[in-house]
Amino acid sequence: MANFDQLSAAQIAAGVANGDFTATEVARAALDAVEARDGEVKAFLQVSADLALAAAEATDKARAAGEKLGPLAGVPVAFKDNMHLVGTRTTCASKMLANYESTFTATCVQRMLDAGATPVGKTNMDEFAFGSSTESSAFHPTANPWDTERVPGGSSGGSAAAVAAGEVTVSLGSDTGGSIRQPASLCGVVGMKPTYGAVSRYGVVAFGSSLDQVGPFGRSVEDAALAMNALTCGGRDPWDSTSQPVATDFLAHLNDGVDRRRVGIVPALMEAAGLTDEVRDAVNAAGRALQDQGAELVEVELPNIASAIAAYYVIAPCEAFSNLARFDGVRYGYQEQGCATLAEQTSLSRAHGFGEEAKRRQMLGAYLLSSGTYDTYYYPAQQVRTLITADYARAYEKCDVILMPAAPRTAFKFGEMSDPTQMYASDLFTISNNIVGNGGVSVPLGLGATSGLPVSAQLQGPAFADTTLLTFARAIERSFSPSDGGAAVAPAFAGKGGELA
Amino acid sequence: MKKLAEVLKDWEAVIGLEVHTELTTLETKMFCNCRLSHDDEPNTNVCPVCLGMPGALPVPNEKAIESIVMAGLATNCEIMRHSMFYRKHYFYPDMAKNFQTTQGPVAFCMHGHLDLEVSGAGAKERPDDTAEKDADGGYVAPIRILRIHMEEDAAKMVHVGGEEGRITAATESLIDYNRCGTPLIELVTEPDLRTPEEARLFMEKLRQTFLTLGISDCSLESGSMRCDGNISLRRRGETKFGTKTEMKNINSFKSLHDALEYEICRQAEVLEEGGIVYQETRHWEPSRRRTVVMRVKETADDYRLFPDPDLAPFDLTDEFIDRCRARIPELPDTKRDRYMADFGLKRADADQLAGDPTVAAFFERTLAATGEKNVETVAKVMVNLVPSYDALAPAQVASLSTLLAEDAITFAQAREVLDAVNGTDEDPAAYVDAHGMRQSTDEGALGAIVDEVLDRCADQVQQYRDGNKKVLGFLVGQCMKAAKGSGNPKAFNKMLAERLES
Amino acid sequence: MPLTREDVAGIADYARIALTPEELDEMTAYMNDAIDLLEPIRAYDLEGVEPTFHPIGDLSNVMADDVPDTEVRHLPVDVALKNAGASRDRSFRVPSILGDQGGDR
Repeated sequence: MANFDQLSAAQIAAGVANGDFTATEVARAALDAVEARDGEVKAFLQVSADLALAAAEATDKARAAGEKLGPLAGVPVAFKDNMHLVGTRTTCASKMLANYESTFTATCVQRMLDAGATPVGKTNMDEFAFGSSTESSAFHPTANPWDTERVPGGSSGGSAAAVAAGEVTVSLGSDTGGSIRQPASLCGVVGMKPTYGAVSRYGVVAFGSSLDQVGPFGRSVEDAALAMNALTCGGRDPWDSTSQPVATDFLAHLNDGVDRRRVGIVPALMEAAGLTDEVRDAVNAAGRALQDQGAELVEVELPNIASAIAAYYVIAPCEAFSNLARFDGVRYGYQEQGCATLAEQTSLSRAHGFGEEAKRRQMLGAYLLSSGTYDTYYYPAQQVRTLITADYARAYEKCDVILMPAAPRTAFKFGEMSDPTQMYASDLFTISNNIVGNGGVSVPLGLGATSGLPVSAQLQGPAFADTTLLTFARAIERSFSPSDGGAAVAPAFAGKGGELA
Repeated sequence: MKKLAEVLKDWEAVIGLEVHTELTTLETKMFCNCRLSHDDEPNTNVCPVCLGMPGALPVPNEKAIESIVMAGLATNCEIMRHSMFYRKHYFYPDMAKNFQTTQGPVAFCMHGHLDLEVSGAGAKERPDDTAEKDADGGYVAPIRILRIHMEEDAAKMVHVGGEEGRITAATESLIDYNRCGTPLIELVTEPDLRTPEEARLFMEKLRQTFLTLGISDCSLESGSMRCDGNISLRRRGETKFGTKTEMKNINSFKSLHDALEYEICRQAEVLEEGGIVYQETRHWEPSRRRTVVMRVKETADDYRLFPDPDLAPFDLTDEFIDRCRARIPELPDTKRDRYMADFGLKRADADQLAGDPTVAAFFERTLAATGEKNVETVAKVMVNLVPSYDALAPAQVASLSTLLAEDAITFAQAREVLDAVNGTDEDPAAYVDAHGMRQSTDEGALGAIVDEVLDRCADQVQQYRDGNKKVLGFLVGQCMKAAKGSGNPKAFNKMLAERLES
Repeated sequence: MPLTREDVAGIADYARIALTPEELDEMTAYMNDAIDLLEPIRAYDLEGVEPTFHPIGDLSNVMADDVPDTEVRHLPVDVALKNAGASRDRSFRVPSILGDQGGDR
């Protein structure tokens, strides 16, 4: 029989429902693939074999009992390790939470399980999601499955790599400034950051509360759409005040045509400093592919987008400082031993529990929120946010979606980007969408002409137009995916373990 | 130290209060659905939200928002349509997230006021030339309310080791998050209070108002209502504020008064000796009747306040506010005015009956049973007798009031009856009959006794007729004796007087 | 004006992050680099521009019913305490709070 890494989520769910194979067989195949591949990829921080087999068994029993199975029945999924799942640790790849046992399950995780998915494990990330390479994980780096000398991107690098290496079919990540779209780009998979509020944040360890959004990785747009359905079909989450209902079926419009629909191009972004030729060429090719399918390319301007990085690096550290203040070693988390006073215990627990970047972000946030500084940076940054939001609103009067790169270049080598502020600047294509709360998706465009590594295009859309985004993403996929089966598993790992028995 | 009266001749005390009230009548916490906990075992009413677990998110309790809007309406505040929750950061583990979710520059309720009516001895604290006083020395003090905002309470910490209860000597502390996240409203007054008595009256009035609204049990003793006082002195005639100190640990109305009195006198002494009042937080020690320094504030605390991104802003609708308004019962001042107008009660009595909603309800139920014709007696009983008892039913008080109104017992006997029926379901009328206490007012039955006494006491009758009217008391006593206590003295008095004057 | 080492030490003290002298030097350099990156924010004339604290459109008045949940999200005391570094008597335990009196509430 086939290797499970050649099957889409829909094919697995259908196969389980039809009795072609059992969920348990798929779970075993996935665990086998992880066993065979992850020694090198290191996408996982924990493999939850027991939970996976128990969930698969429950799915098989439900089928035997004649129950209707969920749309992700038996589909192996992985969760970024900032998402709670009872029965696993949730470490945020930090020494601070190295031993933290989830006390509840995140809504996004629960909804994937409710749809029948099989939880294979928790994936590596930049510590507390601070980074773009997954190198700041306190435990180990994750390799890019396309070139194991290189980073998978980040912060959801483990989730992207696990899908790219064919260890799971679908995974979830979180995106605060590009943390789904950038690693998706570097790993050659589809990565979707939905509109802020479309997916519940309850149970996902917060980084920037007004920026964070959970979304799926898959090797095909259809897999991402299936996951989006699972994440949103339950309606708004009453436990997340910023959650909003998304009344849509993401699959229903997947294969709509793009004929006569308009795709915005921002000329200034296509000339941005640091954008490599191979990425620019690929994005231009994606534009032509959409044109070939009848879409119209229109130029739009986002005049304030150049300030998005500055606004982001005010807002995100401030929210991060506030959200991470709770890690004081009292109720949970790393606790320095032998301290005489609480003040000493708190300061040393935080000093030794957090890694460098986590400390840097919190220090920056604590400074920016201080009373004299609030009016100089924080408040103006939120005003600039209004200007950027208005820029996008004007642009979307002229187009349905905007096409641009997701990352300026392909995967870089470990240690290559060591200056934190240089790393910050590389987020220029993704960050503005978090600032305004709109959706965006990174779509693989095959391998770059120069590097031979995955390149991608990003589509951005207005708030709650995530269905439209996937329609356009699917249109690009039709032109760029070999035999239209979605992105390929990285060749070094395809077929290693994971045979469906 | 000088006495308060003396100090306030030269100095003006400028007092502002910050009053925290837990919304104890709600079912659940402010941002999660944990049950409000009073004396449960530690950490039994907790969830990821109120424990500040990573990944947990807050959702505001609608009933709490309704409660604060009611509080604002009842204290003449402007209800702000648009406001937000903010995060106020400080590292201390009684707040599970190391920030408190509270409100920013705009609170749900802004710019209210309560008018205090200060009378009697309390009015004397204020020197006569600083307030417009009426003939009895009473005056009205309008106290402005800056704001009332919504926030969450902190966890309870128990300090263990060292000298019991002394934070500084404790070797470790235990934290119980049951209280963490309890809905809390904080009212801040403008610095409009001028005497400890005004401060005490303000707190009492606020307590009565919140009790009437039914939003809290308002217990200073248990800490569901807490008050901090800010106080500074300035020379009379000066318009600039002096340096203020903040007073904590005030857990009774008496403490509030006494702590402020002490602090006013202490500051006056410091200033008169040429010293400096430091901006500091002071702790009231009721047993030693003094305030001691808790901490000195060298610089303003920087709480890194910013709008909570996890909580959507509020844009309260007219409909929401009207719904809150409709839920407000008759407030104490309105009730008092009604009692005075409808029942002709004296202001002080009406105030006492209307102030506490449970007392007012008791009074009105009693009155319903006796009929309004007996309102004067019912009010007298409610004001003078009932407060000494803890387990009387309105029906019992109604029965007793009727006995009094019919002159079937004396006021002195009324106490005896209440002592007996308190805590039982016995009807006072039945008790009076069973114990032969009912006094007759039947002129036919009493007439024979009166005639017999007049015959027997010819000397005293003659003295009366000669102008010694005091002898009437002796004759009433003789009648009472002859009737073995069952005759009503008022009736004897009246009948004797009639016969002697004829 | 760039942040000095002393400024950064003060922030670290507030943020309860103990820094070694060497870390303090690195942090000071980082903070100043990062603040340079924020310069575009200061260049704006933002007169009359409303801030966007919540990217949620006109979503407002999100509230929950006052109904107790003792089952779904409630945590039994052993679960509440299981990640704590120190506990005693069903409570979280911390060392002496000497010199540390929390906020002003």
